[in-house]
Amino acid sequence: MNYAIETTGLHYRAGTTFELGDLDLRVPTGSIYGFLGPNGSGKTTTIRLCLGLLRAARGTIRVLGHAIPAETHRMFARVGYVPERPHLYPTLTVREALDYHGAFHPRWDAAGATGLLRTFGLAADTRINRLSKGENGKLLMLLALAQRPDLLVLDEPTDGLDPVVRRDVLMAVIEFVSESGATVFVSSHLVHELERICDWVGVMDRGRLVAEVPMHSFKNGIKRLRVRNAPAQAGDMPFVLLARERADGASGTEVWVVRGWQPTMHQYFEGIGAVLQDVVDLDLEEGFVELLRTARSPREG
Amino acid sequence: MFRAVCRLQWKASFTAVALIAVAGFIVPLLAVQRAGFAVGDRRAWDLVTMLAAVESAGSLFQILAIMLGLTLSVSAWSADHQGDHVYALTLPVPRWYYVLLRFGAGVVLILPVTLAVGLGCALAIQGIDLPAGLRSYGTAITLRFALAALVAYAATFALAAGTKRTAALILGSLVAVFAISELLAMVGVGQGLLTTLMVGIFARPGPFEILAGPWTLIGV
Repeated sequence: MNYAIETTGLHYRAGTTFELGDLDLRVPTGSIYGFLGPNGSGKTTTIRLCLGLLRAARGTIRVLGHAIPAETHRMFARVGYVPERPHLYPTLTVREALDYHGAFHPRWDAAGATGLLRTFGLAADTRINRLSKGENGKLLMLLALAQRPDLLVLDEPTDGLDPVVRRDVLMAVIEFVSESGATVFVSSHLVHELERICDWVGVMDRGRLVAEVPMHSFKNGIKRLRVRNAPAQAGDMPFVLLARERADGASGTEVWVVRGWQPTMHQYFEGIGAVLQDVVDLDLEEGFVELLRTARSPREG
Repeated sequence: MFRAVCRLQWKASFTAVALIAVAGFIVPLLAVQRAGFAVGDRRAWDLVTMLAAVESAGSLFQILAIMLGLTLSVSAWSADHQGDHVYALTLPVPRWYYVLLRFGAGVVLILPVTLAVGLGCALAIQGIDLPAGLRSYGTAITLRFALAALVAYAATFALAAGTKRTAALILGSLVAVFAISELLAMVGVGQGLLTTLMVGIFARPGPFEILAGPWTLIGV
């Protein structure tokens, strides 16, 4: 498999409180990779390291085959980046910002940019310091898309935007990907948002990558089971037990949250003398929360 | 690419640059007017006083050159500082090249102001009947203004490009030098350390020398 972003043994420390430890991240080429994690988990730091905006203490980074940080400027000719905070020059108008950006990017699509201006409802003669937060977000996305990048890196692109703007922005990304086949690396803590568009997911917590799997396996593999009469020592399990709690209002019944579930695994419960009453699919957010719980206090079956 | 950077620099600094250009145009006219060279009856004036008046007005050229350099360098980097340089660092050009583009854009904006100063000087000395032994230095003043602005711009550009930490370090060093100088002066040791330093920077042969000394539009 080819990777648009590949890090090996990446290590970074910021002060005494935050550390990114031995990060091995692999973003498959052509995927829409959702980079999940709670606030402060290291998503933005990882992105900045991958884009050469921060220097790692050790480890290697390759983005679209370019070694980072040595080939950062060559990489940026092929990467569109929407940062967490707006950073455009406030004295320029929207049109001037497009012209400025286009002057630097060899694959700039001027006609596409004008089309996106209309799609996003942005007035070309508005000064950037007069734009609302939503308009700023749309302009940043427009600039990144009109570069016709091979890789789009989006750091919380819809954070703080209203639902209408958020939908516009995500639709533009989906349309771009369907046309170009580009890779998208998108970080967010809005799990539901990523669930709709991503085909790969990586989960960060406290500076570590706790999961990196295809979205379908992440979503389908995490289940909530309702189990009756389960023994305290449940033996070797064919799945990963993420959480085990007593169910409300029913003695002897427990709720198990498991990963890696397959339908054939119900036989396991017969083997330990328990009864599997129900199997419930968890959505990405529930799975994400359970995964973080496990990562923070691993349980043994 | 360079044109785009020039436009950005112009948008960020045009009000200040335009004001400095207007001032640069007016200063030579005022200098000549105040000194009385433009007035027909020169007998009422003492030439020494007139030259002193021209020289005194000439110090405004220094101030304008420094102001221009400072304005251009601060406006070149202030927006980048606000955005933590993220935008500039994510452009597909080597960093040294981007810095060169930004520097070059500032240099370009020194030109119109220099032109305004040159025009002002030319108009100021045009038509005045200089007494024997006196000469006008319009072209020299104009060129000196351009070089002084360039030196001021280059020095402040380097400082402004740094982080807040760098700026604090430089400012802290200056304050420390000043404090040590004062302390030494108080105990009678190393008197004039600050003066020596200033002389070392501005008077000895070196780039900053151009900012010091008299700027006379009319002299012997």
